[in-house]
Amino acid sequence: MTLAFILSGFLVVTFVLVICKRITALIRAFRIESVFLFLYTLYMGITQRHADLFIVCGLIFALKAVIIPFVLLRITRRINVEEDLGLLVNPQLSMVIALIFAYLSYLFAHKAMSLVNLAESAAFIVSITAVCIGFFIMVSRMKALGQIIGLLVMENGIFLAAGSIAGGMPFFIEIALFFDVFVFVVIVEVFVYKVNRLFTHIDTSKMKSLKG
Amino acid sequence: MTTLSGIIFIIGKAFLLALAAPFVSGIIRKTKNCMRMRRGQGLFQFYFDIRKLFSKDEVISKNVSWIFFAAPAVVFTASVLALLMILMVQPGSFTSDGMAILIAVFFVFGLARFFLALAGLDAGSSFGGMGSSREMFISSFAEPAIFITAFVLCVSGGNSFKVSNLLALFSVSMAVIAETSRIPVDNKETHLELTMIHEAMVLEYSGRSLALIELASHIKQIVFFTILSWYIFTPQVPGIYAWAIFPAKIAAISIIVAFVEISLAKMRLFRAVDFLSFSFFIALVASIAASLGL
Repeated sequence: MTLAFILSGFLVVTFVLVICKRITALIRAFRIESVFLFLYTLYMGITQRHADLFIVCGLIFALKAVIIPFVLLRITRRINVEEDLGLLVNPQLSMVIALIFAYLSYLFAHKAMSLVNLAESAAFIVSITAVCIGFFIMVSRMKALGQIIGLLVMENGIFLAAGSIAGGMPFFIEIALFFDVFVFVVIVEVFVYKVNRLFTHIDTSKMKSLKG
Repeated sequence: MTTLSGIIFIIGKAFLLALAAPFVSGIIRKTKNCMRMRRGQGLFQFYFDIRKLFSKDEVISKNVSWIFFAAPAVVFTASVLALLMILMVQPGSFTSDGMAILIAVFFVFGLARFFLALAGLDAGSSFGGMGSSREMFISSFAEPAIFITAFVLCVSGGNSFKVSNLLALFSVSMAVIAETSRIPVDNKETHLELTMIHEAMVLEYSGRSLALIELASHIKQIVFFTILSWYIFTPQVPGIYAWAIFPAKIAAISIIVAFVEISLAKMRLFRAVDFLSFSFFIALVASIAASLGL
């Protein structure tokens, strides 16, 4: 019952991410999604009585719900980029595509993984949907910041998938992953800043032709 | 519920709810004013407004046809009929009968909306026509979401912590905000020409007709809040206090609606399409989840 609440919240926020039109809205939605991931890990920790999971959920909260959104909001302020994200597909069509992803991930969970227990397969379906939607956000946004958020949403989805199938990854792998994501965001911050200074925009669709 | 005592019971409940309907609007307005650090009008102000309107004369344009006179009666009758029908549904045990009643309720509201839109066009003022076209535009997006969430309610049973039910609750609350013309979509408090939707349609009305339309919109609001309350989990309480659950739910819904109204800005018309289509797609996801039994 708590699990259903957390999962449906996670799913709704993931769908919100698809139709966000402004960068700050996208980052805030990502923060809420991370909070739901934190709640999920906390729930798993309480039900499975693993001390590791509590450390992991603390790390999720600190890193994904506080530090990464803060860094991304800071870079948005610093490069003073316009709010518009540059969608390649309009919101309605994006929602249709996200819906198709949700259905396909259900098919994947039932046909390929042959999950029959509904409560466990729900988390798996939601996580695969989040991975697909993160991928979709990466390809459908023109601006670099939107693509970063897409990657982070994918990462959230993979984390949820690991939690739903195996009850979490081994502790050291998780720590390593967190470190990876953190370093990734720091590098990306510097990178976006440099790109913006060099090209005066972060629109990746305009970077196809070589400059001499 | 087909016995005579059952019918009398339903009529009595409908009468009480209709009497309480302006009070619910009063709660919403009072909460909003409290959060704005204003004293505002009292909780019973809408009753005084309606009484005042009933005692006033009407100003009627020379160019109107019978539709203008028929519309307030049709709208009011439709709202009362919907209220009576909604009380025949027994929450907690939704059957195909419940679904049929819900669909009939939405169509009755559709009839009321149709007449109100015609009446807006009838007097020939530019605002009325604009309001009618906007109302139809918004409702064509809100109605599919409401229908699909009604199907979800009948499949998943309501009153429970299921994924489908929670998603449907989220979706239907967005659609109910649009149907009761609350802030992200419409604003009842303003008469600014560019933003009003529902108010623009009824701009030509005054006196008793306006009182009927206002009362009908309060009743419509409480009907939609009742539908919304079916999606919310009911805690187990001792039998003596069971009567208090429904008023508590309605009060909680109205306070939450007031919070939403105060914390959001009104969307421009074509952004409201995104808002409502999002509600529609969440309803579709909920229906997929309901068909899986999640």
